[in-house]
Amino acid sequence: MRLLLVEDEPKVASFIRRALEEESYAVDVCVDGTTGLDWAQGVNYDLIILDLMLPGLPGLQLLRQLRAAGVKTPVLILTARSEVDQRVKGLDAGADDYLTKPFAIEELIARARALFRRASGTPTGTLQVDDLVLNPVTREVTRAGQRIELTAKEYALLEYLMRNAGRVLTRPMITEHVWDLDFDTFTNVIDVYISYLRNKIDRGRENSLIQTVRGSGYMIRADS
Amino acid sequence: MKNASIRIRLTLWYGVALGLILVIFAGVIYVVMSKAMQDEVDASLEEAAAVAVRTLGEHRFGPFLIFEDLSQDFPELALLDKFFQIFGPAGQVTIQSANIQSREIPLSQTAFQASLNGQATFESVRFDQGVPFRLLSVPIRHGERLVNILRVGTSLQPTVDMLDRLLLALLIASPLAVIVSLLGGWFLAGRALRPVDSITHAAQRIAAGDLTQRITAPRSTDEIGRLASTFNDMIARLEVSFRQIRLFSADASHELRTPLTITKGETELALRRPRGAEDYRKVLESNLEEIDRMSRIVDELLFLSRADLGEIKLKQVPIQLDDLLRDVQQQALVLGKDRQVETVVKEISPMMVSGDELRLRELFLNLIDNAIKYSHPGDTVEMSLVPNGEKGEFIVKDQGIGISLEDQPRIFDRFYRTDSARSHSTKGTGLGLSICKWIVETHKGAIRVQSMPNQGSSFTVLLPLSPSIP
Ligand SMILES: Nc1ncnc2c1ncn2[C@@H]1O[C@H](COP(=O)(O)OP(=O)(O)OP(=O)(O)O)[C@@H](O)[C@H]1O
Ligand SMILES: [Mg+2]
Repeated sequence: MRLLLVEDEPKVASFIRRALEEESYAVDVCVDGTTGLDWAQGVNYDLIILDLMLPGLPGLQLLRQLRAAGVKTPVLILTARSEVDQRVKGLDAGADDYLTKPFAIEELIARARALFRRASGTPTGTLQVDDLVLNPVTREVTRAGQRIELTAKEYALLEYLMRNAGRVLTRPMITEHVWDLDFDTFTNVIDVYISYLRNKIDRGRENSLIQTVRGSGYMIRADS
Repeated sequence: MKNASIRIRLTLWYGVALGLILVIFAGVIYVVMSKAMQDEVDASLEEAAAVAVRTLGEHRFGPFLIFEDLSQDFPELALLDKFFQIFGPAGQVTIQSANIQSREIPLSQTAFQASLNGQATFESVRFDQGVPFRLLSVPIRHGERLVNILRVGTSLQPTVDMLDRLLLALLIASPLAVIVSLLGGWFLAGRALRPVDSITHAAQRIAAGDLTQRITAPRSTDEIGRLASTFNDMIARLEVSFRQIRLFSADASHELRTPLTITKGETELALRRPRGAEDYRKVLESNLEEIDRMSRIVDELLFLSRADLGEIKLKQVPIQLDDLLRDVQQQALVLGKDRQVETVVKEISPMMVSGDELRLRELFLNLIDNAIKYSHPGDTVEMSLVPNGEKGEFIVKDQGIGISLEDQPRIFDRFYRTDSARSHSTKGTGLGLSICKWIVETHKGAIRVQSMPNQGSSFTVLLPLSPSIP
């Protein structure tokens, strides 16, 4: 899951980014509205977290332009004002949710998760492929009832694959959604992480869930 | 009466006043009229008496006069609406005119006595049927001797009838006039008071919190019109200051929310899982910075709100301004070193002002701090202090980011920071210049800015000089 955070106050941006990265999300940070709009249109993000008070382009305007350009990425707005009309305006402009500063970090994470869930259309929250189950809230992964321990990146990769179960995911798509902008696309990091995942999930089992689609990418699917 | 509306009270006062005036007026008319009519009756009686006396004189005076003879000789006597009686010297009737019919009208004691003394007497009498009469008794003397008493009388009935009709007319017309005037007064008072009602309604809506309301009374220059426009002006001013307060508190809460968000977020993040000592130290350091920022905002806000309420008393002592500036420059050197900005004093002349040293130091420091903060590394900040007529002129000039023309009038507003300032330096609350402006104004001075984006800014402070002590 890859997020764009548009926030001009560096310290606020910094702790939000660290918190989300601890949840294995890839986070890009932008400090002004104009670049924020560019990035939001250029990269296929899974979620945009948007501060409303921004230099350059105010958050509300950014949001309207984004929606006008047909970008449907879920947007969570952060406002410093608790006044109702700010929130209403934000939601009217096409935001999916809002948080008022100061907020609890757990709440931000929970809301982000809820927005991903809504976008991928799995209301219960747990993702399942055959006997492999992933719970995004507890970040617990089990196969046939057995717990599997994953590192943060492995988990992020698996969550992305499972949210798009049955679909072929190309390497650029995986990079875009699991790694952030600092990621060097020329390495074979994805292949390495896929092999880590295979080791932990498919090794010694009857049917392998993670499949390589020759020439294009990877896919997770129940029947082999 | 106390709770009755002004409209009712005005109308009633109006009616009562008019009623009183009418009563007095009618009374006076009635009295004057009845007096005039009585005088007229008396005058006609005197005239008739004179005619009769002359007639009698042409006859002969004596106790036995034959009225038939008289009336034959003077037919006009019988035609008059008056009756005649001629009494003998002892007061007994000798002759009386026919139109007196069978009525007994004896000579009164007073009239007889007056006649003996040679005086005429007017009397008003009323007989059994209630018909009032006016009588004139005139003595006729021959030398010193009373020969006859002539009495002329006339009925007062026509006069009484006239007066009765007058009274009736007054009694009917006066209440009518009062009723008409009450109706007119009610109508006029209602018309005059209608704008007051609209003022009341507007005031009620305003009291309910809607300060956009205005009174739509006609823009006349009468009392009500003036009241309405005064009221509108007052509401307009209230609206402006309410908007300012709302904006100010919204800004204040926004400025405080940012450090709160940071301290809360960083602390919660640190507590999510066990971390190394270095991580905790970083969080605590950052939080301390934010706490300092918050206490600065609170201090500055408190200062400004106390200044607004006029609670800050400034000292009025003579200050050697050039010494003060040299002192501040030492601090500026340290500030500048941190950002690799050079601070130089170009020109400095000795001068005295009267004021509060602490505040003036704050003023200089705020302006110099801004100049350094909004400069690029390697830039120079110049200061000068020179006399300019009756004033002392302090100038801080930098080569920094500058301020656009649209932003220039707003930088003295509380919490206002330009976008370029925000991205250049995140530190700052936007209260510094508001405080500077307040300090300058309380010292009866002026502050101006000249600036071009990306070229630099120059802030000028003018302070009135106090006459130097020799
Ligand atoms: N010398 C300068 N050059 C460019 N911009 C300036 C300068 N001085 C003031 N400004 C602009 O005016 C704004 C208001 O200044 P002010 O001193 O009130 O606030 P601040 O410096 O941002 O914060 P602080 O309250 O900490 O002083 C600044 O944010 C900046 O945009
Ligand atoms: Mg300042």
